[in-house]
Amino acid sequence: MSNFRTNQNNANTNKLNVILSTVIVILVMNVGLQIWLLYTALNYTLDNDQNVATIAFYASVVIFLICLGLLYYIPMGKKTKTAKRSAIR
Amino acid sequence: MSQKNNQEEENWKQDFPYHKQNAALVGRREFAKMLTLVSGGLAFGCGLVAAKANFFPKSPVEGEHFICTVEDIPLGGTKSFVIEGSTIPYILIHLEDGSFKAYEQKCTHLSCSVYYQPGSGQIICPCHNGFFDANNGSVIAGPPPRKLPHLEVIVRNNEIFVTGPEANTSV
Repeated sequence: MSNFRTNQNNANTNKLNVILSTVIVILVMNVGLQIWLLYTALNYTLDNDQNVATIAFYASVVIFLICLGLLYYIPMGKKTKTAKRSAIR
Repeated sequence: MSQKNNQEEENWKQDFPYHKQNAALVGRREFAKMLTLVSGGLAFGCGLVAAKANFFPKSPVEGEHFICTVEDIPLGGTKSFVIEGSTIPYILIHLEDGSFKAYEQKCTHLSCSVYYQPGSGQIICPCHNGFFDANNGSVIAGPPPRKLPHLEVIVRNNEIFVTGPEANTSV
């Protein structure tokens, strides 16, 4: 017997693929932002400006928490069929 | 016994798969988790930088240090020196306008040794063509991300002394 979720999945077969790609793109952008924050914090610290390093640290932690939160949205695939699960890898 | 051998073979195949595709395969989920791990590492690194900046700041140069007499450095000449108790190399420059300037001799890009180009008013890093203004140490061109750290120069009774820079002052 089919239900709403099954019909949704059948109607949008590419959905999990799009979600996973979107999450990865956001993660890559977040990591890029963190690299920039670390570079800026190092530069200002070497220039004897401590405030920027502290703010950059807070921002970096917030971004890390966002990344952790995004892991929740990674689709785990359709668990009933092994073949389909491996197909979205 | 044979079952045990088969099990060992399977484990061996898992660790060292025969097909290259299996060995190189990194699933997108694993990739996303790895990115999050990198994000955590970067946040941790930022924390280390902030801790170093706030709790273990660079100790400033204290007191006045005699370097040489005015006659020792001709106009446009330079003298390298190291302050007692420190390993940081500095360079004392006698600019063409008669003033003296002292900077760290390490380029702010990759710590190459910089030198003063007489007559040009520029301090040059030969490694990657970084150019600094000899009057204030600011970056004119090239990859250096920030200006050269400087020392205050005091000329007293024909003798040259250096001391740490005052807070929030430029050269």
